[in-house]
Amino acid sequence: MTEMLKKTAPVNTFCRMCDNHCAITVYRDGSGRISSIDAYPDHPWNHGRVCAKAGGAVDIVNHPDRLLRPLKRTGSSWQEIDLKQALDEIAERVSRLQDTFGPESMSVWKGEATSFNQQEDLAKRFCRALGTPNFLSVDSLCFCTREIGYSLVYGSWPKPDFSNAECMILWGANPPAAHPPMTRTIMEGRERGAKLIVIDPRLSTIARQADIHVQPKPGTDGALAWGLAHQLIANNWYNKDFVENYTVGFEKVAAYAGDFTPDAVEAQTGVPADTVRTIAALMHKASPRVSQYAGNGVEHYENGVNNVRAIASLDAICGAFDMKGGSINADGLGQQSLKLYDEIPLTQLRRADGEKFPVLHDFRQECNTMTALNAILTGDPYSLRGMIMTAGNPTMTNPNSEKVKEALSALDLFVVRDLFMTETAQLADYVLPAATFLERTELYTYAPIQTVSMSTRVQSIPGVQDEYQFWHDMAHRLDFGEHFPWADEADLNAWLLKGTDVDFHDLQNSAKGIQYKAIQRQKWRHRPLSTPSGKVEFASAYLAGLGYDEVARYKPPYYASNPKPEYPFSLITGARNHLGYHSSYRGVKRFQPEVSGPQMEMHPDDADGLGVVDGETVKVSSAIGSIDIPVKIVARQEIIRSVLQATHGWKEANINKLTHDDILDPIDGFPVQKGIAVKVERIR
Amino acid sequence: MQIVTVNPRKCVACRHCESVCSFQRRGHYNHHDSAIRVNHYPEQAACIPLTCVHCAEAWCQEVCPAAAISRDAKTNAVLIDATRCIGCKMCMLACPFGAINFDSSAQSCFKCDLCNGDPQCVKVCFPGALNFEREEDAARANRARHDNRMAAQFGNRNHD
Ligand code: SF4
Repeated sequence: MTEMLKKTAPVNTFCRMCDNHCAITVYRDGSGRISSIDAYPDHPWNHGRVCAKAGGAVDIVNHPDRLLRPLKRTGSSWQEIDLKQALDEIAERVSRLQDTFGPESMSVWKGEATSFNQQEDLAKRFCRALGTPNFLSVDSLCFCTREIGYSLVYGSWPKPDFSNAECMILWGANPPAAHPPMTRTIMEGRERGAKLIVIDPRLSTIARQADIHVQPKPGTDGALAWGLAHQLIANNWYNKDFVENYTVGFEKVAAYAGDFTPDAVEAQTGVPADTVRTIAALMHKASPRVSQYAGNGVEHYENGVNNVRAIASLDAICGAFDMKGGSINADGLGQQSLKLYDEIPLTQLRRADGEKFPVLHDFRQECNTMTALNAILTGDPYSLRGMIMTAGNPTMTNPNSEKVKEALSALDLFVVRDLFMTETAQLADYVLPAATFLERTELYTYAPIQTVSMSTRVQSIPGVQDEYQFWHDMAHRLDFGEHFPWADEADLNAWLLKGTDVDFHDLQNSAKGIQYKAIQRQKWRHRPLSTPSGKVEFASAYLAGLGYDEVARYKPPYYASNPKPEYPFSLITGARNHLGYHSSYRGVKRFQPEVSGPQMEMHPDDADGLGVVDGETVKVSSAIGSIDIPVKIVARQEIIRSVLQATHGWKEANINKLTHDDILDPIDGFPVQKGIAVKVERIR
Repeated sequence: MQIVTVNPRKCVACRHCESVCSFQRRGHYNHHDSAIRVNHYPEQAACIPLTCVHCAEAWCQEVCPAAAISRDAKTNAVLIDATRCIGCKMCMLACPFGAINFDSSAQSCFKCDLCNGDPQCVKVCFPGALNFEREEDAARANRARHDNRMAAQFGNRNHD
């Protein structure tokens, strides 16, 4: 009786349908099956609200197509095998590869579908213990440009304090689709009278409430940021005390910004010169309560890191850094590190990306995926022969999908763990079932409120391992079990919390999470930043030492600097919709009526010019590939002319067949997945 | 009585409410099955969410020839009994807000039922455009906002 009660009682835990980790309550039916999900009313992160995806998790967890048994490729078909046999065989083949071709012939690739953060750290740990420097992840094309760009300036990526702001600026970010809880803070700011400025070539969801919606040409954000810097400096609207005492390189920035007059900015970005003046004046009036957030939209250009640095510098110019209503330079929880960076530095081994991106390595200790995939195909700098991938789908998310497929198919050993048989899993030698977020327990931190929560394992499916159990079992088979000593995830969570102010049992019993440290502002007054100089770095001697530009020099995107008349459109990819998360959930039936398939957004005048009607399937081609895709003609306010947008993740029309894996940001190796020069043809 | 109030100043037409409503009602995401509807007018830069306000004097209820519309004793919601509805659409025509919808597969009308006193649309509205509150409280908040604007305009000490 008690067993039955336990199996059916509601459980408070956290949603991980996206990386926002909203507090939820999970309900189960009489048989213990997860039946519905509701918002947990009382967590300081989501305040009793969730987004529409949370309820849909029921479908992911109970989906009839979920992988529940290990599969082994036999010729062109799959054979179900026992989990133990699968792990034994994989371990044996990993050892053989490494014995024959060296430890670095193996790689580990972490994707997004089974959480990141803690799970990324575990995968990094396994990779180090395995003795290979080839840790790969989605970080090669998501998140890192912003993290690195901000960290170069501040030593960290501060979070916006919209609730207390007077001027809010969003760059290429659409929180209602990508970060739903952030939308609440933006609306709180607006309620207090803050101005909202949204910078996006598209009229994104959040742009509908903007006081000023700015539509620059794709990839020109850096020029606009420099233009704002110029206005703030030239008008003496910058915070002199802060700049003089807590920053380095201001003179260099002031000198460089001089080129970005409002007219020059207009010529480069298409944003009217007067708008540049207006925004700068609003920032000045609101200073230091100027709060910015840069989204994924500013990444995926060959000048991404420098564009982000330019945006980041505006906070310091306004004196908004770590100020109320400005940015929050949050303190971390200070948990134990899983990554084995110090214990196993592996400095003697070369990485498969040929050390081309030292900055990516310095900040993330990982290997650029575009270059590593080349190594599989070319053997340069050496052959990467084996890969264990957990919950990634790079044939949909990495650029140049055809090449990604070719490379992954060429591996001697390719193991994929995932929830579903993805397009990528189909290329594997072994496919192992992975656990959903309701079948794991892990720590989630909410940096802006300096709070930590711990998720609860709601159910377990026999034979379906959580990430930790998988790495643990592999490590013990490969004779480095000492690095995975914890009995299970709970034991691991307890270890992670050692040395912090948060008690494991308190956290386990707290559905509201625990604030690990009270929020303090202006920490820069008494504590050096984690930049090399300890100050805000407008100019980076570290970058200069590596041969890069010291200031965040602006370079126009390649479609603008090398215009090709045969490719007259500029394609942006990857805009989020409210029921998706990266490439996930496209195939889930109950999601489908609302997000029915791939489409490419087009300005009505461009459609007229081409003679294309709404819903018509056209052929869109870049220099490297082409696909057929239906057109969605949007209102003229919703996208600028000559710009197209298509969201990735659709196997029926995989837009990443058009994106570039060979034009990369020289600083962190990010690929060009936006601002692709394309042409559109009618299919007759 | 509490109703779902709407505030177009905070709405971004993100459509989480439409999605969750259809998920609650029909088990899938499809705005055609949602009782709450949001319109976005890009030309006017307007986002208008609209759902039933459960009128004290409900014309839909009065006009229904099949007596399929009633008022819930607990939540005060105006409810359509799909098993009694004959699909004549008189209620749709009578509703001045257009808050009643027609389900062509079931051949019956449907509308907001306040999810038995726990409206899901409000829970997914991170912007805060939807709230489940008493009309008096909503009116009081509007009045406070208006008062503040008036005070700012007519106050004698605003420039200190
Ligand atoms: S925003 Fe939505 S999907 Fe993301 S964690 Fe919150 S409820 Fe889940």
